[in-house]
Amino acid sequence: MSDRLNDLRQAVERLLPEVDGVVALKQGPGGIVAPHLFQREQPADLAALALWPKYPVPDTLKIIQKAHPGSTLAVVCRGCEERGIVEMAKHAQIDLAKVRMVGLQCVADEATFCRCAKPFTAHATVTVGDKIEGVPDALTDAFLTKSQEEKLAFWKEQFTRCIKCYGCRNICPQCFCNVCALEDETWVETGRLPMPMPPMYHLVRAMHMTAKCVACRECEETCPAGIPMAIQFRLIAHDVQQMFGYETGAVIDQKPPQLLVLEEGDYAKTGLPH
Amino acid sequence: MPEPKIIGFLCNWCSYRGADTAGMARLKYPPNVKIIRVPCSGRISPELVLRTFREGADGVMVLGCHIGDCHYSTGNHRTAKRMPVLKKLLEYTGIDPQRLYINWVSAAEGEKFATVITEFTETMRALPPMSEVLR
Repeated sequence: MSDRLNDLRQAVERLLPEVDGVVALKQGPGGIVAPHLFQREQPADLAALALWPKYPVPDTLKIIQKAHPGSTLAVVCRGCEERGIVEMAKHAQIDLAKVRMVGLQCVADEATFCRCAKPFTAHATVTVGDKIEGVPDALTDAFLTKSQEEKLAFWKEQFTRCIKCYGCRNICPQCFCNVCALEDETWVETGRLPMPMPPMYHLVRAMHMTAKCVACRECEETCPAGIPMAIQFRLIAHDVQQMFGYETGAVIDQKPPQLLVLEEGDYAKTGLPH
Repeated sequence: MPEPKIIGFLCNWCSYRGADTAGMARLKYPPNVKIIRVPCSGRISPELVLRTFREGADGVMVLGCHIGDCHYSTGNHRTAKRMPVLKKLLEYTGIDPQRLYINWVSAAEGEKFATVITEFTETMRALPPMSEVLR
């Protein structure tokens, strides 16, 4: 762990003169770790560079970039965060030409914690740490063995615990709409808990995460009720790959299906009549 | 067993005219489907379908123009992209994906309209009411 931190510190140090700032984690007073903009004017900050916890990197980068559109920034990102940045660029939320990515490869413990299939970066020119293989997602695999009735019972039990704090939406690094469907009374009623089935909030959110979720698991992490909602996002990501041949954040030049008008033959795998 | 309640979202330019064609040809089909005419099948957002289910529908049909025939040229492409994903999501939530039905019916296909309605109603009759499933 300390090795990786040292390597990262050196990588950031080398980058500092070339860019206007590096977005990474910094340990503050009282041991609180938070995102920080490292700049060459304050090289002493680097001593407090930190690796963990994860935070919504693409969203943080977007906010800084919107406030300083002319600046060139570097960002320390893990595999999922890198995919998120690529995806946000496709939706015109981040200018990728002005971003330098420093890839931070996850270690086995972190990958297991996230049930991550791709705990490594693919586009970053500078990487820190050794690339490891993904781990199987036992929770999702176990869910898939359930029957239809068991699946419904599982989600009924899970969603009954939801207190509708909107934490999963707020933390999501891929959410950027100015007007959110989840705040529309037409779709999500206020003041009704537990929410009636089918749970509009969660299903609408799952639909909106289609071809956008990068499996960073921030939503599950932040959920006070511990609802494993990423199960649905992951299964749908797999389906989108099967149906439309699109993998979120994997290829920079490939547009997501929702931004494209497809040809008739492209629907062959959707199961629709044609 | 009560009769299934089905909501059919029909595109104004093809499927709704297809229903007219079926009517003019005096074709028989079950009266379970309550038809809602929409400008385009691309108007049907996942939110609308989900709310229709929550309001107590046993099945939802989305019928539009064939791909390539959309009055707005690419409206039904949206349907073709989002509805298969929504079906998968229903499956992963433990709701039978058969409850959401998508097909393309043109203005000339009155017979296909009658067949599609009959078949879907039969499928829904075989399933338990949504209110029981979600209880």
